[in-house]
Amino acid sequence: MTNDQQILDSLKDPSTKEQAFRYLISTYKERLYWHIRKIVLNHDDTDDVLQNTFIKIWNGLDSFRAESSLFTWLYRIATNESITFLNQRKRKSMTSLTDENQYLIDNLEGDSYFDGDEWQLLLQKAIATLPEKQKLVFNMKYFDEIKYEEMSEILETSVGALKASYHHAVKKVEEYVKSHETRIEP
Amino acid sequence: MYEEENIEPDFLKRPKTNPFRTPDYYFESLEDRIMGNIEDKAKKKSSSAKIIQFMKPALGLAASFTLVYLLVYYPINTFLLKDNTKTAFSTTAPADLLNDYSINLTSIDENSLVDAIFSDETNNIAETNPDEFLAYLSSGLNDVEIYSEIQN
Repeated sequence: MTNDQQILDSLKDPSTKEQAFRYLISTYKERLYWHIRKIVLNHDDTDDVLQNTFIKIWNGLDSFRAESSLFTWLYRIATNESITFLNQRKRKSMTSLTDENQYLIDNLEGDSYFDGDEWQLLLQKAIATLPEKQKLVFNMKYFDEIKYEEMSEILETSVGALKASYHHAVKKVEEYVKSHETRIEP
Repeated sequence: MYEEENIEPDFLKRPKTNPFRTPDYYFESLEDRIMGNIEDKAKKKSSSAKIIQFMKPALGLAASFTLVYLLVYYPINTFLLKDNTKTAFSTTAPADLLNDYSINLTSIDENSLVDAIFSDETNNIAETNPDEFLAYLSSGLNDVEIYSEIQN
């Protein structure tokens, strides 16, 4: 199997469906993992969300109409699952946005699978202060280097609005970093 | 206006490194774990589907009965029988009739009330002959037993 169309064709055939899905997982697992990880930060939470994402993908294979690319569809499901996960946790703990951001950072600092230095922790803290949409756009652009056109399909938002979101996000991160960076040695 | 070329804050010039890592061999076993989860969910789904399949006729029957009740029995009860009960009640239970059965306790003094309650009991005792008592008590005893009872 070399491309998405071949994977999709194999997924439609019941005799090859499971094998094709295994191939799909192996092709996209790392990209989706890192995309989710940037949103929920903690490894254990990411693992849960990733598994739910692939279960959703499996259950929704029949409804995929190939109007968008397979990659875009997978990313959209992963993004939605991550946001749903964060919202559920927010509802359970009845926390405000500020408390939620603090929780994310505490969770990150306590995560044994985070090896970041002071600068990287500061950057994550700055990103955690962003509103949800700006956070998504910033992560997708800064870390994953996804093109605005693809991002537009994934987040179902116009390219102009995404550029504006990224611009605001960068400004906010910069301000946060500047106001807190003095404590960190260059 | 918002093109990224125009935005060049210092932090964007820093080299990007991934501060996150995963447990060793995490990605190697991922396919198996996901497929295992999918199979488990499918099994749970099929067992709950079986229960629903099993319950379907009973639920259908219950729904039909409820529908029949709502469409037939309830309107009959509410509209047709309502008129009948109204008529029946109005002919058999006027307010005066109920008053006929009520007892005006204020008109009875205490002595006459006590007499009325215990009248049957006292009459029964008074009407009973002592000889009849003895005959009743000694009916199951022979002469020797009667004699010993009297001596005691």
